[in-house]
Amino acid sequence: MKHTLSILLQNESGALARVAGLFAARHCNIDALTVAATHDPSVSQLTLVLHGSAAVLEQIVRQTRKLVDVIDVNTLSLVGDDNAPLALATQP
Amino acid sequence: MTTPTQTALAATGTDHHPLAGQPMTGAEVVVQVLADEGCGVLFGYSGGAILPVYDAVFRYNAGHPQADGREPMPLVVPANEQGAGFMAAGYARASGRVGVAIVTSGPGATNMVTPIRDAMADSIPLVAICGQVPTSSLGSDAFQEAPVSNIMGACAKHVFLVTEAETLEATLRTAFEIARSGRPGPVVVDVPKNVQNAALRFDGASRLPIPGYRARLRAAENARLDDEACARFFAALAQAKRPLVYAGGGVVAAGAAPALRAFAEAFGLPVTTTLMGLGGFDTTHPQALHMLGMHGTAYANYAVEDCDFLLALGARFDDRVAGVPDKFAPGATFIAQVDIDPAEVGKVKPADWHHVGPLAAALERLTRYGQARGIRPPLDDWHAHVAALKRDHAMDYDRESPLIQPQAVIEAINRRTRGRAVVSTGVGQHQMWAAQYFDFREPRQWLTSGSMGTMGFGLPAAIGAQFARPDALVLDIDGDASIRMNLGELETVTTYGLPLKVVVLNNVGDGMVRQWQKLYFGHRFAASDKSLHRKDFIKAAEADGFAWARRLEDKAALEATIEDFLAFDGPAFLEVMIDPDAGVYPMVGPGATYAQMITGEFIASRGAVPVEAVEVPSTSMF
Repeated sequence: MKHTLSILLQNESGALARVAGLFAARHCNIDALTVAATHDPSVSQLTLVLHGSAAVLEQIVRQTRKLVDVIDVNTLSLVGDDNAPLALATQP
Repeated sequence: MTTPTQTALAATGTDHHPLAGQPMTGAEVVVQVLADEGCGVLFGYSGGAILPVYDAVFRYNAGHPQADGREPMPLVVPANEQGAGFMAAGYARASGRVGVAIVTSGPGATNMVTPIRDAMADSIPLVAICGQVPTSSLGSDAFQEAPVSNIMGACAKHVFLVTEAETLEATLRTAFEIARSGRPGPVVVDVPKNVQNAALRFDGASRLPIPGYRARLRAAENARLDDEACARFFAALAQAKRPLVYAGGGVVAAGAAPALRAFAEAFGLPVTTTLMGLGGFDTTHPQALHMLGMHGTAYANYAVEDCDFLLALGARFDDRVAGVPDKFAPGATFIAQVDIDPAEVGKVKPADWHHVGPLAAALERLTRYGQARGIRPPLDDWHAHVAALKRDHAMDYDRESPLIQPQAVIEAINRRTRGRAVVSTGVGQHQMWAAQYFDFREPRQWLTSGSMGTMGFGLPAAIGAQFARPDALVLDIDGDASIRMNLGELETVTTYGLPLKVVVLNNVGDGMVRQWQKLYFGHRFAASDKSLHRKDFIKAAEADGFAWARRLEDKAALEATIEDFLAFDGPAFLEVMIDPDAGVYPMVGPGATYAQMITGEFIASRGAVPVEAVEVPSTSMF
């Protein structure tokens, strides 16, 4: 199943590489990734698409939250799950 | 994404640093923050890109002599930067304080990669400061340039590349905060040379804003067990007849050993610890089962098989403990887990009850809750069962052999140190024998590369530990192959006059590799036999200034030699030629379950394990 993650990130030297590196090191393939500035110049937003089981998603979200530069991670599961509500849901 | 817009939080409050407002160079700021953070010793090797900081350390030490004339922040120089990293790690492991290493750019920094990864894997707080080429040369393939933030970013808890000198002070202070908070770990600060030379004004209090990290940390550190969570825990415990505590390195890191002892004694739970958890629960305590896992005691592993309730404390069900997670503790109908890291909860094995928060507070809360309600589970049958396991499946080895058995060496030392020595190790068979046959009365006495399994860790870690605890007996129990990896640090021992004791259990090769080759690779000893190697360890130790350096080959001389060795007032080096065929048992093979544990010839097994049960397909083995 595909999952979309919305990651708020401090706009720091090497921060994007750390997120991408975490996914690579934990053997989690990134299907799509976009990065954009926000109204706050010190914060960037990453939108990241990956596929995997719910357990894979939960573990990679928890690991992403351990990155010091990461301000917040939200998950949005849209594709491949007809029953999923179309809403941003914060992981517990 | 690479525009540094980090702004330091301004110093606030009324408690001004006495040096606030003083002009300082970047290098002086580095040294002042180290002093403020309480660094009693630095480990590092100099080089072009870190020279301003080294000069500032020199001037700081010259300007602040202690009452006894000693330097306030001595800089200990290893043979290789990897040695500095492991010294800082040994210092941190033995003391609980943040270890600090300072190295130059390029090769200095890349030689630090292994200790940084090792510290990350074992959750050890370090701050490593690396020199870097000037910001104007970054990315230009300059002399001694390496992409440290990229390399270390994959290995460390966090890495900072300081591109704006104004953020240097806040960055360093924040590095210490990150290293020691939550689940501890190593933080790398990469400091370009022009930043070290920048003219700055010291503020004495600034930190970087790391809102996400601090918010998550606050949530974890303020988490407390409420009455309902305690009630659910004790309701499950009341159903259990055979409860067991499985305690990991988190008990040591969290300073939770006294709380664990009080909890275990209050409710009568037996305790087994992981390799990293050794010392977190006094191994001589009647309720202690020593170590579990791949080379755990047979009685601890049988207790894991037999338990019906498992409480994991700061332990992460790693593959050397739970090689086959769904067959680990197969009778446990209730698994409870406490950890400071939310990502570890249920990562390997689902938990029926969990708490993310400070371990000591959680255990104290459970103890108070249970005691207030007079809870004392009736566990007499389970205690009798565990006592029988300890009696019937005690650790043992070939005591009749004419060859010196490594276990006998550890026992002879342990009879004299009585569980009070600080012990570091390399990695392999000697590490497991030391884990199995030493007693550990207190936390932070056992310094070993648990997760990374880094050969060469033992000698530099012992050096760092001796600086942390100058009055303690510090032993490096090493192997002939492991000690070779950082043998240059023998000279560091004598240069600094450290009274540490080095034991090399020499089985002429990579013993653990040979053990696996015997079991799984048809006795083909590819690259693990060192009988043609010409190293004379005694001459090497003597050449490096060891006044006491002896080789022990006669079993009859074991006790007297150990006595003499430990009594020597100064650095001492003992090489023991051990039975090269001695194996580490018990053994739960890679990819095997505890039911498939082999106990060897000298430890009673609970039932014959059919050979085919021990055979594990090589595809499921690591």
